[in-house]
Amino acid sequence: MFNNILRLKPGLKPAKIVIICLIFLTILSLSSIYSSLHQAGEFSEQEIFHKEIMWVVISWVILILFSFVNYRIYFDLAYVLYAINIVLLIAVDLFGRSALGAQRWLNIGGFNFQPSELSKIITIFFLARVFSSQTDKGFFKGAILPFSILMLNVLLIVKQPDLGTALVLVFLFFLIGFASANKKRYFIGMIIAALIFSPFAFNHLKDYQKKRLVVFLNPNAEPLGAGYTIIQSKIAIGSGKLLGKGFLSGTQNQFNFLPERHTDFIFTVIAEEWGFLGAMVLLMIYIFIINNILLVARYQKDNFAQLILIGMACLFFIHIFINIGMTLGILPVVGIPLLFISYGGTHLLVSFMLLGIFLNIYRQ
Amino acid sequence: MSSSKDNFIISLKRIYVTAFLVLCVSLLYYQIIKGNYYLIRAKNNYVRVIPERSIRGKIFDRNGVTLAYDKPSFNIAVIPYQIKNKKNALLDELAKFCNLKVKSLNRNYNRKFQNFFTPVDIIADIDKKEAFRIEEKFGDEVLIDPQPQRYYAYPQETAHLLGYVKEAASFYERLKKYGYSPNERIGISGIEQYYDDYLRGVDGGDLIEVNSSGRIIGFLGKLNSVRGKDISLTIDSRMQRAAYESIDGKKGALIFMDSKNGEIFSLVSYPSFDPNSFVKGKDEVTNFLNDKNKPMQNRAIQSTFPLGSTFKPIVAAAALQENKLKPSTTFICNGKLNIGKAEFECENVHNDENLYEALVHSCNVYFYNVGILLGRQIMASYAEKFGLNSISGIDIPYEKKGTIPVSSIKLRSRWYLGDTLNLSIGQGYTECSPLEIMLAINAFANDGFLVKPHLIKTIDNIEIAEPKSNKLDISSQNILIVKKALLGVVESDEGTSRMLKPLNLSIAGKTGTAQTNGRPHGWFVGFFPADEPRYTICVFLENGGSSYEALKVAYSFLEKIKEQQLL
Repeated sequence: MFNNILRLKPGLKPAKIVIICLIFLTILSLSSIYSSLHQAGEFSEQEIFHKEIMWVVISWVILILFSFVNYRIYFDLAYVLYAINIVLLIAVDLFGRSALGAQRWLNIGGFNFQPSELSKIITIFFLARVFSSQTDKGFFKGAILPFSILMLNVLLIVKQPDLGTALVLVFLFFLIGFASANKKRYFIGMIIAALIFSPFAFNHLKDYQKKRLVVFLNPNAEPLGAGYTIIQSKIAIGSGKLLGKGFLSGTQNQFNFLPERHTDFIFTVIAEEWGFLGAMVLLMIYIFIINNILLVARYQKDNFAQLILIGMACLFFIHIFINIGMTLGILPVVGIPLLFISYGGTHLLVSFMLLGIFLNIYRQ
Repeated sequence: MSSSKDNFIISLKRIYVTAFLVLCVSLLYYQIIKGNYYLIRAKNNYVRVIPERSIRGKIFDRNGVTLAYDKPSFNIAVIPYQIKNKKNALLDELAKFCNLKVKSLNRNYNRKFQNFFTPVDIIADIDKKEAFRIEEKFGDEVLIDPQPQRYYAYPQETAHLLGYVKEAASFYERLKKYGYSPNERIGISGIEQYYDDYLRGVDGGDLIEVNSSGRIIGFLGKLNSVRGKDISLTIDSRMQRAAYESIDGKKGALIFMDSKNGEIFSLVSYPSFDPNSFVKGKDEVTNFLNDKNKPMQNRAIQSTFPLGSTFKPIVAAAALQENKLKPSTTFICNGKLNIGKAEFECENVHNDENLYEALVHSCNVYFYNVGILLGRQIMASYAEKFGLNSISGIDIPYEKKGTIPVSSIKLRSRWYLGDTLNLSIGQGYTECSPLEIMLAINAFANDGFLVKPHLIKTIDNIEIAEPKSNKLDISSQNILIVKKALLGVVESDEGTSRMLKPLNLSIAGKTGTAQTNGRPHGWFVGFFPADEPRYTICVFLENGGSSYEALKVAYSFLEKIKEQQLL
């Protein structure tokens, strides 16, 4: 199986597989959010569900639209988009709406919009353009300068504070950097420097972020505080057993023991209601999607497109791994949504945009 | 396409597939291997038992008068999860509102806390109006938790006898393995402890579904609580009260018993305490615990004291049985006996006296001589036969047994002849509980049978068989000789207990004044009517001054119950 998964030869058309997977994920997403919005058998928050349906429709439209936009335009616009992105983040800082202790949203025409999600996609364009050059530009131009420019973005997001997204961006920098023509040792050196620097960075985290990291190490330290979510999540996942408790029948979900269950902890709901088998099917679908993105990347001749696809695959992978890892208590709770499933408009929109770009690259 | 990029993509795949395998293995571990464990935890999460305390069995006296029963009380409880962020502020406010100490609320909270969702009683036993007043003020943050509460009809009078109940929380670690829950009440000391298994019943409760904020969202079923069994005692509540009134104000104990079968009619110890206050928490109770007069001590069975002259009948019986003495044997009393340089005193100069006269006058010199004839070993072995260093087996816990100088005990110094003399008049190494000496003297009422004292009459309306008595190997004839003398102690004009004669009860008995470092202890042990004894009484006054004080208490008690026609 391991070799099969790793096989990088074109079989069924990648675009078709990805679309089929996406349809399946959309159904799973809507049904899981529908279930998680129930409380003790009552559909308590219909409004949120209706909003989500609207977001799904918009996302599919965006997917189709983006699949027709020639991706080379992003090469030309990369730096401009990056500048706009920075402006938007500053706007969030100045005029943004805050919720759950974080200031992440901009209200545009009645919609709450999260620029930090958008900055993931723009960062991929930016990095793909910077690193798409076929020659080694040297340590400063090839590594330090792009990193410094990226840090502007990262720090603005840390300030919101949205630690999860900020870490994802830093991670993307190194992954796409490794894939570039630059010498690997530039980036290895920077990683070592970052590790040395990280304890100082820890001191600058918000209290709740520090707490989350501490609780990650010992969830029982605070059974009613931050650790509560992890404990309840584990109970929910474990009690699903092989086949799950059935749709709308997850007791942890229905009796309100799981906070944030339609957003960051949606995987818990799926694992509780559909069991180990359901979770495995979900993971397989993710593997299909990422595999096909990497497959297209491998046979891609355009350096820029290739780096975009690698960045996309990495972004998807990080989201899935960190999100599921945190619901299982093997990674800290950093507030990253589950790809294509979690409630949250901007996140869905951005993911679909990326897949639209993927479809376009594939068609070219 | 460079091959280095190709390799990069392949290693990227390896990394992410490995990472996904880690997720798979974790899921396998949580869902398949530990699935059942988490399923149980999930159920415990949302299924809760709202405990319904069982009603504890009632305790009746021999005539069906209720001594202890459960009545509903109102407690104020909080649900920890609901108040987790504002606990301190809420307790502060509650304390202020109810004029209580925050400290005691906090203590109750910590002591009774079980989990985040089970209500914790923080204020116990308030009246209904006050409970609703608090609920009105604090709304959903508190709830009224009605619970049965133990109530004692004659609290001071029966405190030592019945004991009291307390929530198991304070001893929970120890009791867990016996199936107690922290909110359950457990009998502490007395009848409540001894018969706890019968009295306690089985707690029930409502099985409910709750959501994460502890709100009830469904009802799954009910487990009915089982009432504890009622028990009735051999106690006569009127005698018990008369006994308490008679001894009121004097440190000591009074026991009144059926001579034939060992049924206890009354058993009081003074000073006493109020068992009703134990359910309310510790504040009032510390007064009892710290009182230097030790009101919690049951002086009738849990303490031992020097016997004084009440020991003499046993010495007499021993000497008669060992043929060291005839009833007619006389010794001359000059008011003292010199042994070497030491002088051993008597109360009076009795001149020549036989055994009868010596007992009636309680002549020390006579018994010094008898003691010399018998020696330490024989006297001690007879004391042992009479049960002065053994547990009587009365159904009250923590009975203490007496000390007598049998060869096996460790002495503080060498045994001198003077010690033998002291032993013969019940001083020195002879210390017993009032119950023990009462049972020993009762043997003279009972043709040499040592009865087993007991308090239980019926459990759940089923008669409890009386324990069997043991016969001492002392001839009836010798028993009768001593018994006659004991009758003379009260009923003759010279007897030391003649003060009781006007009661016309034909009492046989013996007084004792035991020397201590402080004021002497006063004793009186007796039985009546002498021909066919039915009742045995023991009065003990700790540092009471003399036996005369004990006689006064006995007189007052017997007069009272005679007036009430209880005999």
